[in-house]
Amino acid sequence: MSQKKYGIVLDAKKCLNCKACTVACKFENGVEVGDEQYRIWVAEKELKGTFPNLRLDFEPSQCQHCENTPCASVCPTSATYKTDEGVVLIDYKKCIICKACMTACPYDARFVSEVHNAIEKCTFCYHRLPEGREPACVETCPTKVRVFGDLNDPNSKAAKLLAKHDTYQLKPEKNTRPRLFYIIK
Amino acid sequence: MTLSGMNVSRRKFLAASGGVVAAGLVAANLSTLKAVASGHSPAPTGEIGEKHIASSCEMCVNKCGFFAHVVDGRLKKLNPNPKFFKSRAMLCARGNAGAEEPYNPERLTKPLLRVGERGEGKWKEISYEEAFKLVAEKLKEFKVKNENRSSVAFASSEGFQEEMFQYLVQSYGSTNTVRHPTLCLSSVIQGWSSVYGVYPDADLKNSKFVIMFGANRAEAIVTPDSIDFVKYKPEGAKLIYLDPRFTNTATKADKWYPVKPGTDLAFVLGVINVIITEKLYDAAFVEQFCDGFADLETMIAPHTPEWAEKECEIPAVEIRWVAREFAKAAPAAVAYPGRRTSWYVNDVYFRRACAILTAICGCWDAPGGICPKASVPLKNLDPLFPYFEMTDDRIDVASSVKNRLPQDKRSDNMPTDSVAYLGEKDGSWLRFRDAIIAQDPYPVEAMIVYKQNFIEAVPNRAKTMEMLKKIKFMAVIDIQMTEVAYFADLVIPESTYLERWDSVHNLASIWPIATFRQPVVEPVFGTKSMFEIAGGIINEMLKLPELWDDADEMEVEDFKMDVAEDIFGQPLEEYIKHQLADHPGAYEQMMKEGVFYLTDEASYGKTRNPEFRFKTRTGKIELANVKYADKGLSPLPIYAAPRQPEPGKYRMILGRHGFNTHTGTQNNEYLWEIQKENVIWINTAEARKIGVISGDYVTVKSSVGEQTVKVFSTEKIRKDCVFFAHGFGRLSPQLSLVYKKGASQAAILEDYLEPISGNAAMHETFVSIAKA
Repeated sequence: MSQKKYGIVLDAKKCLNCKACTVACKFENGVEVGDEQYRIWVAEKELKGTFPNLRLDFEPSQCQHCENTPCASVCPTSATYKTDEGVVLIDYKKCIICKACMTACPYDARFVSEVHNAIEKCTFCYHRLPEGREPACVETCPTKVRVFGDLNDPNSKAAKLLAKHDTYQLKPEKNTRPRLFYIIK
Repeated sequence: MTLSGMNVSRRKFLAASGGVVAAGLVAANLSTLKAVASGHSPAPTGEIGEKHIASSCEMCVNKCGFFAHVVDGRLKKLNPNPKFFKSRAMLCARGNAGAEEPYNPERLTKPLLRVGERGEGKWKEISYEEAFKLVAEKLKEFKVKNENRSSVAFASSEGFQEEMFQYLVQSYGSTNTVRHPTLCLSSVIQGWSSVYGVYPDADLKNSKFVIMFGANRAEAIVTPDSIDFVKYKPEGAKLIYLDPRFTNTATKADKWYPVKPGTDLAFVLGVINVIITEKLYDAAFVEQFCDGFADLETMIAPHTPEWAEKECEIPAVEIRWVAREFAKAAPAAVAYPGRRTSWYVNDVYFRRACAILTAICGCWDAPGGICPKASVPLKNLDPLFPYFEMTDDRIDVASSVKNRLPQDKRSDNMPTDSVAYLGEKDGSWLRFRDAIIAQDPYPVEAMIVYKQNFIEAVPNRAKTMEMLKKIKFMAVIDIQMTEVAYFADLVIPESTYLERWDSVHNLASIWPIATFRQPVVEPVFGTKSMFEIAGGIINEMLKLPELWDDADEMEVEDFKMDVAEDIFGQPLEEYIKHQLADHPGAYEQMMKEGVFYLTDEASYGKTRNPEFRFKTRTGKIELANVKYADKGLSPLPIYAAPRQPEPGKYRMILGRHGFNTHTGTQNNEYLWEIQKENVIWINTAEARKIGVISGDYVTVKSSVGEQTVKVFSTEKIRKDCVFFAHGFGRLSPQLSLVYKKGASQAAILEDYLEPISGNAAMHETFVSIAKA
């Protein structure tokens, strides 16, 4: 059993909503052009207030790599699985596109890929990690909103950020225990 | 377009992001896309294996560094270069989407000769050799016929290979070159240079108090500023942002003032007034380095914050607060210069005021302030070209055509039939076009164009089409069928920035760095670079004796050696080696890492030396400009209120964003996916008055044109103005993703001039809006 526990700590206040991350992800992972085909995205939250007292927040997001995985629980062919480091992956060969996982996912993180003829989603760029490279979205971001790392390693940048800041997770009421932590300022 | 919380599908979020993406017709568009993409695979190169090649981006002007990940001869992805400190090791959406450019299914692949009517889209494929011959023949034809080489004009856009295009121009000897600055930043360059002799940078990494005026750095990406103002904002630092729109930069600002359009100068004068009245300025700095303070003191007296509030609609109490905080933070305080400043007729005076505010607080050449750009020393060739006798003065200088100025007090004492400071190579687009139409004082009958899509870039598109009627021959070099290419007689495809060598260029800044380009893939369709195209045309020119009979024979012989052979007769790698020859190991470093620099540390204070002479008439920082008085201009910035739209009309304002560059990238699928058509921002209350809601279409009408565009009804804009993004409503069917989608700015903008620098004044147009 690996001692590693991969996760992402995000400082959404730094997000410019520039979409560098989503385009980088598409090239890195060969995701086809199309409005339904996104592994990661930046949500523009509702504009608060009236002119001239306005506030607008952005929320970059993706598969939460939950510790309690509703997607894996409902998968009839065990195509969705978790690695030792807690990264949730899909074995495309086993996927029968029944879409049960798409329905089960509280984060709407999954979509049907024509490239793989399977359901797909964010993998934390798992193929890059053995080479010591960060996920493409992390690497390309102008302001470095996302910080990726081993949360079990107290010296990792991600673990340090997590220790220093209060954070929130998306939809805690679903008890999924996401691996994405959003910094509260 | 109002959304609520995460319970809404992310797909709906995507559809509404940025208020620029239109939902609907997605399925239809996608099927088009897939049809296009199916013919998309390039021929296999036979190459096996993975490579990471260092080069630099050309999707906008910033030239950020990347490593191209190439798998089996095909570009897979562009990754940011961690050593490229100017861009802080990032690549934006466009930088990433660049990986599609060589494989774009609609890119130009073969030289095309027009066979039908202009704009009919009927072409015959010819070889590069035939194209070069034809261009050389035409250059000869107009020179012989008019006995004036300036009867051929050369238009070009900024970029590393523009240098090669300029070598072609000089080989022919026309004085009529026209470049992008007078559609962009010529007024900010002139404004700051008139005070300091140079156009400087802002040190946002160390600044404690930053005022930005419409320079929307969260969306209009300029490196390193767009990163620094958020990522490296010092603890406790403040960002003050003036813009009629609540942009993404406004979301990051500590204070957003929705300034009344065209009155930013009043705000700055109010701030200067407080700083001088309350004696908050840096008296020692002013005494030592500045000239004209007494004149400034007298001029500024009536411009109290209460006076300014009436003009700019920003409360006097806020103006006082800004002034005091700015002075407190000095010298680490920034009145941000900006870049695309083609706004108003008096833009130069506004930029001068920002430079003056900077000077009196001593925020010059110090950490966190405004600093002169530094550069990396390179050994550049400075080849000599023959002097040709059959040339005339630039047409925008020689012509007596009248400047189009808005009818109000701001235009008093402005030049009416000339530009006060016209860039010798840049020209002034609006005067240039008017002079060609008037054929005053001589005819310009041919144009050679390098990547400048002036049909969509220059205000008043109908007038540009009028100008093209005077142009008997137009050749266009580009990577895609832009509007200018579509209405040309000859189209010559260029290799994309990922398929060619580009010489070394300095990216002058507070953190200077030099970069270059090398091919990351072989030209997918066998295209040539501007370097190869210029070389090919020059070779054909040398075969025509009529092109050299008005020059000194010896000079022509030298030219053959120095230019035709030593530059164009060699591979571009040799030129690159020469440029870096003074630095041992620099060429190898460049090839491997894509960058060359002497230090990654900023150095401050070289010009804060009593011995230093600024490049101004007095050698000092000129608060009052001595030369301006000679030209009948005001030595100090003077304010007059801008005219206002009559009831029922709105001021059209412009702005950039991070998803597309000008009109050059909208046909890239990965960017099109983010922004499929533009939408017009209308204040919610005004939209209600007009009787429209978001998603409706409206016709937008000015005195020069009319466009139909989708409504984005929003609180994010003032009631007196409207906005839509650039680059849509396109005329070229070979940009099929955006052909006739959305609205064109050029079609409705009126062609007012800012006559001190020659910039276009693009925020002076009033429009009426009605439900379509």
